Amino acid sequence: MIKFTKIIIALLSIFNLSNIGSLKAEEILRIGAIPDQNPEHLNRLYKVLSSELSEQLNLQVRYIPVTNYAAAVTAFRTGNLDLVWFGALTGVQARLQSKGSKVIAQRDIDEKFHSIFIANKKSSIQKINNINDLKTLKGKRFTFGSESSTSGRLMPQYFLNKAGVQSKDFKGASPGFSGSHDATLMLVQSGSYEAGALSEEVWKRNLDRGRVDPSKVFVIWKTPSYHNYHWLAQGNLDKKFKKGFTKELTNVFLRFNEKSKKQKQILGLFSTKKFIISKNENYNKIEKIGRKIGKIK
Amino acid sequence: MKLIKPVSTLLTLIPSIAYIPILIEIIKGFHIGGLNIIFLFISSAIKPSFNQEVVKSAWEGLQITIATALTSWVISMLIGILLGVLSTDLFWKSIPKFSYLGKFIKYSLAIPRSIHEVVWGLLFLQILGLNIWVAIISIVIPYSALTARVISEQLDSFDIQPLIAIKQTGSNFMSSFITILLPKLIPIVSTYGSYRFECAIRGVTLLGIFGLGGIGTELYLTLKSFEFNEMWTCLWMLWLVMILLEKFIRFSRSYLSENISLKNFFFISISIFSLSLSLGISWLYSLNFEIFNPLSFSYLNLPSFVEIRNGFNTLPLFKLIITTILITFFASGIAIGTPPLLIVLFPGKFSLKIQNLIWIFFRLIPPPLTTILILLFTNPNISVAALSLGITHMGVMGRLLTDNILNQEKSIYRAIKSNGSSKKSATLYGILAPQSNSYLAYGAYRSDVILKETAIIGAVGGVGLGWQLQESLSSFDWAQVIIIIATFSLLTISGEFLFNTSQNYWLKNSTNNFIS
Repeated sequence: MIKFTKIIIALLSIFNLSNIGSLKAEEILRIGAIPDQNPEHLNRLYKVLSSELSEQLNLQVRYIPVTNYAAAVTAFRTGNLDLVWFGALTGVQARLQSKGSKVIAQRDIDEKFHSIFIANKKSSIQKINNINDLKTLKGKRFTFGSESSTSGRLMPQYFLNKAGVQSKDFKGASPGFSGSHDATLMLVQSGSYEAGALSEEVWKRNLDRGRVDPSKVFVIWKTPSYHNYHWLAQGNLDKKFKKGFTKELTNVFLRFNEKSKKQKQILGLFSTKKFIISKNENYNKIEKIGRKIGKIK
Repeated sequence: MKLIKPVSTLLTLIPSIAYIPILIEIIKGFHIGGLNIIFLFISSAIKPSFNQEVVKSAWEGLQITIATALTSWVISMLIGILLGVLSTDLFWKSIPKFSYLGKFIKYSLAIPRSIHEVVWGLLFLQILGLNIWVAIISIVIPYSALTARVISEQLDSFDIQPLIAIKQTGSNFMSSFITILLPKLIPIVSTYGSYRFECAIRGVTLLGIFGLGGIGTELYLTLKSFEFNEMWTCLWMLWLVMILLEKFIRFSRSYLSENISLKNFFFISISIFSLSLSLGISWLYSLNFEIFNPLSFSYLNLPSFVEIRNGFNTLPLFKLIITTILITFFASGIAIGTPPLLIVLFPGKFSLKIQNLIWIFFRLIPPPLTTILILLFTNPNISVAALSLGITHMGVMGRLLTDNILNQEKSIYRAIKSNGSSKKSATLYGILAPQSNSYLAYGAYRSDVILKETAIIGAVGGVGLGWQLQESLSSFDWAQVIIIIATFSLLTISGEFLFNTSQNYWLKNSTNNFIS
């Protein structure tokens, strides 16, 4: 009996090992995104986008999901991702760590992006008109989104500091970090936090989908505009795929329009009408603020 | 009547005093805002999602986790056994000239095991990028060092007279070493090995929460997007698989130990290792991981001396260390104190069996998830971190205690009860007392594990060194990262020494013994 078992185990091991062949790797364009929204939204969006890019560029495109903002930056630096949809801050962090990488495009709304501050109706917080009134948030339970989010942390924190509100002024001596914009909305709406800051785009999309309950949560303030999300491409794509590839890739994004059914769906999921060209220099101000707040060294 | 017994029995209950300050702090920050979500979370437990997509992705996540755990478990066992033997005093008796090498290996292994697997994971992610090997390596490093320690301690505690006797007959040292030690090594490997496999599954699940894939990632993403029904699908599936796996391991261990000679046991161990390794690797391969692609390193710019000095000046290190120690202290109190308290409060065999099942469940919920949930109705503070760490480890402690009690002789209990004592005091003296010393010894070891895990809990809970590590990592400030990890390492090495001393103290007085 034992002998038999041994033989079987030995055979199984050999069978297993022999089964492992090696696969020829072909060049794949790996795209990614910071996980700023619910994963099912991202999965739907990037599935369509990958298939469209694959068709337009005539190569295999794979979407690689990551669980937090810093991991997206790391994956870009280590070369696991060729093209990433970054927020302004993570984009700058990634660009400073990957020589030659290049901002290629952004949406029309990213030129003039806003964060909004929201509050729970049951809190005593009122709508404010002047940035200095952000002081009323002192002593409240307040949450940001991800710690590396531009519209969910960096810019809100920048404006809060401008109004004289520091992180330690919130209840519990520190703000919360919900991890994503959708989570911030959910937490403020349910009352876990009395107030929070998130991207205007995500707020609007949730309004459209009826996921905002106006009897529970409302907007108290909208920030001045700044540059936000963008596509950041590795500097070596022309070498890796073919000459002029980065240019071709950029053009594919710029050509997206609502005439094609698939492209219309993509633009819809990105909450935009079209992509426009963008460049590294658009993010100089973000870099400065990032350094000031300590998120960029 | 030995006096030590009631004293250490009470000592098992005393740690639960930790609840008082913790509950006070949590209640102080309590607000009803998050209750809706908590209610939703609990009610979703009985209606997990059976959506085909959800079940499919949970199943895939589970496979990734188990396959990764299996692969890293085998590798860490093999390396651990080798290093374990190499760090025994016994082994170097044959080559006394180099015995300092043994000591060197033994003490330098303190460093790899002082750092939690998730921290290793976050570091290797920076160097190797998104790659399944990051998860494997991060488990293998601390686990091999831990296994090595257990193996060498156990081997060195054996009587070496037979070895000397055999050696004096003039036989080759190596072969006598193997003849004598192998039979002793095997039971340790078999008990400790199966325990480590379970740990590996928990470890890989945790790594998943920090973005390295598998069921942990599924759990984290579903919780973060408040899809509780989907989260429960993952959690129930994980629970089921863990129970089945445990039953399977127990069955095969008892089958093997009853039916097989030591020599065969050796061959079976070897084949289990080789089978697990090939199964793990081919499984990962079939899950589309590029496990055979060469690793590509991307180097970091190491910080300069000035940057490190600046890091020291900007980090509130003292406060961070105190916070970390407090979290460990309170979490250990909850973990060690709760299970005995429940046994005394709810005695009886049926109640014990229920508790046993509940503990398996608590043990499975990764602490960061508990933290996220507790944070819904209170402010981030030390107590939240302590409570969530305490809950998971309470599961580990409770499971062990109830298991041991269910297997123990009932004669003392019956004797005390037939003298007319109440059920509760009979439980206290007849059931808990014989377990206390070994339980406390194990508790000391748990505290050591808890200290290491504060690294990951703080990251979510917003407190302690763990939080600072996350913040510095996401700012890509390598000087700070190095300082924090070095501090952590020093803290856990001193912790290990301290807990080890108290563990030995309790083991000395222990009536029954369990390794881990």
